[in-house]
Amino acid sequence: MGTPLLCRNATGSCARNWSIAFAFCTMDEGAEDETTFVVEDVSKLIKDSIETTIGTSSYQHIRVNQWSTTIVEQCLSQLCKLGKPFKYIVTCVIMQNNGAGLQTASSCFWDNATDGSCAVKWENKSMCCIVSVFGLAI
Amino acid sequence: MLSSTSCAPWLTHAQKPPRRRSFIHRLRQVRLQMDEYNNGDEVVFNADEATNNVKECIEGVIGGVDYSQSKVNQWSAAIVEHSLTHLVKQGRPFKYIVNCTVMQKSGAGLHTANSCYWDNTTDGSCTVRWENRTMYCVVSVFAIAI
Repeated sequence: MGTPLLCRNATGSCARNWSIAFAFCTMDEGAEDETTFVVEDVSKLIKDSIETTIGTSSYQHIRVNQWSTTIVEQCLSQLCKLGKPFKYIVTCVIMQNNGAGLQTASSCFWDNATDGSCAVKWENKSMCCIVSVFGLAI
Repeated sequence: MLSSTSCAPWLTHAQKPPRRRSFIHRLRQVRLQMDEYNNGDEVVFNADEATNNVKECIEGVIGGVDYSQSKVNQWSAAIVEHSLTHLVKQGRPFKYIVNCTVMQKSGAGLHTANSCYWDNTTDGSCTVRWENRTMYCVVSVFAIAI
């Protein structure tokens, strides 16, 4: 092959005027989910985490630190509970909605066959939140 | 990883396609060789070097420009790709994730956080914050040992 496995995602923008099958013959089909990054499950997990933390709140400068910490820690603990052989990185960006433009992007050098990522954008009237999860197989 | 005995065992050795080694697999081999050379010392992520690389990439892309909504998509993509290319060129046995956030300065609050479940002895990250008159840029690099 010789080419690096490069994948780039633009994870989303909030601009308002203002971004193994695995090897072994003995393994049954259900076991593939045990070792692959399943985007739907992770996406649902992130949404639940955001909703429970800031679902009904308005932007408050003094609390946003605690909110972002809670979101990433909850996501991470739920991901670990899945019990898959992955290392995880969870990032969270919370921005107040006042018309400013926001763009996020990520690029990854990894193994396309086993690793994966998922980004969720959530917003309400006063703030927007982008959470990205990257899972890298051990 | 497929082994030649478990892949299509009904084919004889002569009929099986040659195993294709991915780039990541070759990096794994490099890591094993480096471990032997270093007498088993772990290869550690150099955050200072990565920080300097990323700063240069940011300056190179948005160093002297004002925020422009039509161009910000292209800028963030260029920053992450250039940073990733510099990191990969070092040839170290790591998987990398580069994350970039660009925000227009308008008085809004912005907060970023990240948490990682990894091996503390071998994996690492660095975050670079940059700003000019019209925008903020936050770039995070995560390096996971293979």
